[in-house]
Amino acid sequence: MSRLTNWLDERIGIRGIRETLLDRKIPKGVGWPYVLGSVSLFLFTLQVVTGILLAMNYSPSPEHAHSSVSYMMQKIPMGSVVRGLHHWGASFMVVAVTLHLLRTFFYGAYKYPRELTWITGIFIWLLVLGFGFTGYLLPWDQKAYWATMVGANIASQAPFLGPAIAKVLRGGEALGAVTLTRFYAFHVLLLPALTALLIGFHLFLVVRIGISAPPEKEDKNKP
Amino acid sequence: MEKNNPPPSLPDTDSRRNFLKQGIFIMGGLITAGIGVPAVTYFLAPLWQKEEEDWTEVGTVAELPVGEPFKIDFVQRKRDGWMTVEGRSSAWAVTVDGEQFTVFDPRCTHLGCPYRWDAEKKKFLCPCHNAVFSVTGEVLAGPPPRPLDRFPVKVAGGKLFIKPAQKKGEG
Ligand code: FES
Repeated sequence: MSRLTNWLDERIGIRGIRETLLDRKIPKGVGWPYVLGSVSLFLFTLQVVTGILLAMNYSPSPEHAHSSVSYMMQKIPMGSVVRGLHHWGASFMVVAVTLHLLRTFFYGAYKYPRELTWITGIFIWLLVLGFGFTGYLLPWDQKAYWATMVGANIASQAPFLGPAIAKVLRGGEALGAVTLTRFYAFHVLLLPALTALLIGFHLFLVVRIGISAPPEKEDKNKP
Repeated sequence: MEKNNPPPSLPDTDSRRNFLKQGIFIMGGLITAGIGVPAVTYFLAPLWQKEEEDWTEVGTVAELPVGEPFKIDFVQRKRDGWMTVEGRSSAWAVTVDGEQFTVFDPRCTHLGCPYRWDAEKKKFLCPCHNAVFSVTGEVLAGPPPRPLDRFPVKVAGGKLFIKPAQKKGEG
């Protein structure tokens, strides 16, 4: 193992990279509230892995979507486990990312110099909600259909642009085959690409700037 | 702060740092296994899924000719993932007593051409590379490496059923 490390170290300086990434200095007093970011990252990885597997057995067409899902659940070994992980992982992800956001807000961790970390984080949170909305339609059952109907109608309530937004979301006047392929493309291509980019930048900032100390009643550390 | 080396008096394994390190590796390993095992099982599913071919009814025994091989055409319902597709298929069948049937895969065992029964020569002839098979499927001439393949057959309620198997590597 250390021979491999030496080999890599000589060429790309792996020890330095590891120290920068993992042996970062962290402020005094950090505790459990600070794990939420890592939890979110773990869940994102889980969703990517299980999502890739699900896509191998899924067909985004009104004719096949539902039966391909039930085929996967009944006929593929571990199919229900993989789908269950993705299903629950999705709910947990919304919870974890939201709690992470609230933690950052209430600890005042969004302040100078971490505004960019905060802003990218907000966009990641919005993308996670987008994942939830688009992924919900894919099983193509009654719940999925009507939930998306409601979602698209909410969008159409917005003044002026609303109807246009709903039309673009649905891919037409009515919810149907095109909506399903569009949502599938959003869910497995567009959103993952954007999210991965933003997470990369977010993590770069976390490593670069470091994380904030927990707030204190009186800031004794001030010079 | 420099690196946190354990005090020299303590062996390396006793340090708190090492304990935590090991704990993290063990927990990480368990989580990875917990997700990895289902994921790999799922990914490799095609390896341990067996194709269940259903018995296909191909005719009424009483109406089938005895002695001479005959071609049977039937509609085969195949499972294709979550879909059931119907396809026209055929097979060559022969019976000597009207009770025991032999049903041959209609594809030549050489390279898969459809062969036919020549009623005058009393042999199966394959047009592609001039293979000749006997009425029992033995290779009499030509390049085929083995006798004609047979489908499982059963007779139930006066009807003839076969199980047309997909050969390996064919779609
Ligand atoms: S395919 Fe029948 S002889 Fe070659």
